[in-house]
Amino acid sequence: MSTDQKQEQEFIQFRYPRQVPYQHSLGYQSKFANGLKQGRILATKCPVCGRCTIPPRIVCPFHHVKQTEWVDQGQRGRLVSAFKINFPMFDPRTRELQSWETPLVAVELEGGASMDGWCSELDTSKLKTGMLLEAVWRPEEERQGRGDDILHWKPVEE
Amino acid sequence: MAERIAIVGVGQTIHKSRRPDVTTAELCAEAVEAALADAQMTMKDIDHVVLGSFEVADGYFNPDKWIIPEIGAVGKAGFEIQNVGTTGGVTAAASFNLAATGMFDAVLCLAWQKMDEAAGAFSRGGGGANEYWMGQFPMSPITNFARRAYSYIDRSGCTEEHIAMVRVKQDQCAMKNPCAQLRLGLTIEKVMNDVLLAWPIRRLHMCPTTAGAAAVIVCPEARAKKVTDKPVWVEDWFTCHQGGALTMAEDPTASTLRYACDVVYKRCGITNPLKEIQAWEVYEPASPAELRWMEEVGICDDYTAWKLFEQGKVGIDKEIPFNPSGGVTATNPIGCTPVVRLVEAALQVRGDAGEHQIPGKIERALATGYGGQGENVIMMLRKTA
Amino acid sequence: MSHHLPEISDEPVIAEVIAHTNFLVSTGATGTRFLKEIRDNKKIMGLKCPGCSKVHVPPRLHCPTCFVKMTEWVELSGKGSLTSYTVVRYQEPYMPKEPPYAYGVIQMDGADTGLAHFLGEVDLDKIKIGMRLEPVFKEEREGSILDIDYFKPSS
Ligand SMILES: [Zn+2]
Ligand SMILES: [Zn+2]
Repeated sequence: MSTDQKQEQEFIQFRYPRQVPYQHSLGYQSKFANGLKQGRILATKCPVCGRCTIPPRIVCPFHHVKQTEWVDQGQRGRLVSAFKINFPMFDPRTRELQSWETPLVAVELEGGASMDGWCSELDTSKLKTGMLLEAVWRPEEERQGRGDDILHWKPVEE
Repeated sequence: MAERIAIVGVGQTIHKSRRPDVTTAELCAEAVEAALADAQMTMKDIDHVVLGSFEVADGYFNPDKWIIPEIGAVGKAGFEIQNVGTTGGVTAAASFNLAATGMFDAVLCLAWQKMDEAAGAFSRGGGGANEYWMGQFPMSPITNFARRAYSYIDRSGCTEEHIAMVRVKQDQCAMKNPCAQLRLGLTIEKVMNDVLLAWPIRRLHMCPTTAGAAAVIVCPEARAKKVTDKPVWVEDWFTCHQGGALTMAEDPTASTLRYACDVVYKRCGITNPLKEIQAWEVYEPASPAELRWMEEVGICDDYTAWKLFEQGKVGIDKEIPFNPSGGVTATNPIGCTPVVRLVEAALQVRGDAGEHQIPGKIERALATGYGGQGENVIMMLRKTA
Repeated sequence: MSHHLPEISDEPVIAEVIAHTNFLVSTGATGTRFLKEIRDNKKIMGLKCPGCSKVHVPPRLHCPTCFVKMTEWVELSGKGSLTSYTVVRYQEPYMPKEPPYAYGVIQMDGADTGLAHFLGEVDLDKIKIGMRLEPVFKEEREGSILDIDYFKPSS
């Protein structure tokens, strides 16, 4: 290296891409996944405070009692928040990096529990907090027992 | 009965987006050297080491294997802990617990994160997340804070401009902090026109990825008084990890901060936090979060913090000296970030913060760590024993 | 309404997930110097501690016992003795070589720490602790510890 040619100092770095497989037991929460495959949203209910929660839990985190009751949360809910993801993100199903047109919504279900989902209305200016949404399911053979078995949430006229 | 404990030395690196010139362990050594020099101690004086790293954001598993030799701590008592974003907070809390037993003379608390090495570790839910629950939708800290901010705007009536005011205030503070990573000279206009990631979160609203380390040395009272004439007393600390379960069911904007602060305020006899705490270093991973956190720590009523920004009341030399270091939107070596808050809060108490020193006597300073879906660690510092 | 719907199964579900990671490792100024000497000059260098005079190969910035910066680079012959070894006979993902292969810890002449590396040009059943070894460098070198292909028995 000549002295008058100031070169950037070299620092050696390594990359090591890995794909690590895991098998996570859903345990007591299995009923939630099995419900989705049947087109139903189930949540556990605390016998003390009456809260319904998704993810479901075997014990109420507040009252430390067993939550033996499962409550069907219905097919409708109210919009809590909605926004578009304006940058490429990985599709959780395919692991492919892609752009997203559909808004991501948080929905408070009729049964009281909340969950995430996609929204069929692409124009976010038409989405308002508290508006009524209805689940539109993937065909049964495409369902995997995951939240995105619900293809999207569709606004409902009231 | 627990010993009273004090911080006798603090150190941090100059935080940067990339540090290819050092290994993770060498980065840690920089912070340790700084803390030992600050305390006028050597590694021989340290008898317990607590390491903290959010391992998924480093790619180092079992990192003590690399770091302990590099900081000359071979053979000392020690362990490593991790707890996502609050990692530095639990690392500090564990160090406080150890010092308070009186079994150790000097405990070294060290946390780090070299995020230039972990690009993409989160984007596909890389190793460690609960993939079934976290991986069904393309979720990230960005979408988490977009959702919180959406509901905050909805409930408070504030505008995007108020959130931009928070970011500009953070930048004005960071400009005075030589250790801060992003020192940008921002204006409201610049922030408002920045790339939109997920409404209302723009790129500038989100904490950056940072390579940085920070260290704190904690001693029981008797030892602390021998080591330094400027001990910073750790009055109280509390870890609260119930996260989403505790808060978000009722309020999508909430964290556990209010609950955790209530516990600590009660134990410390604090009834008017804004009056009794003179310096705040509260972990805000995105600028809109700072608004909600100001309410949760008890500075103002729910959904009104944005008005304080509108009235120009927040800043280093203003009525509310919130995050004088520039905070987390300027610097975020994630698992280390709560220790950066602790270092900054301790410097404020000592009056050693330099250009970003809050004027007047700092009797109390509050530092926090935040993580995941709303977990918090509270660290209350005092000037007088 | 809910109690009229059919019962949902409790059958345990196992979620199969794959975590993708793509981490980077910085070798830093010290590690880079070590690797560059191997790549560019086929030389193995160590760092000598000003406190305890121990020579560290591979080098690190700070001495683990003295916690002082080491700045004195020492050139080694590359020859050394085997202090420990094993033969790997199983396979799993991300292994650097096809089994069976041997690797060991080599104490370089003039060094106080051991370097882990592969053993080659040797009958796997005739490896002996204490045997003399020397490095075999690859033709194409890229700035990696694997620029040393392996250590072979030295005469
Ligand atoms: Zn309950
Ligand atoms: Zn030494």
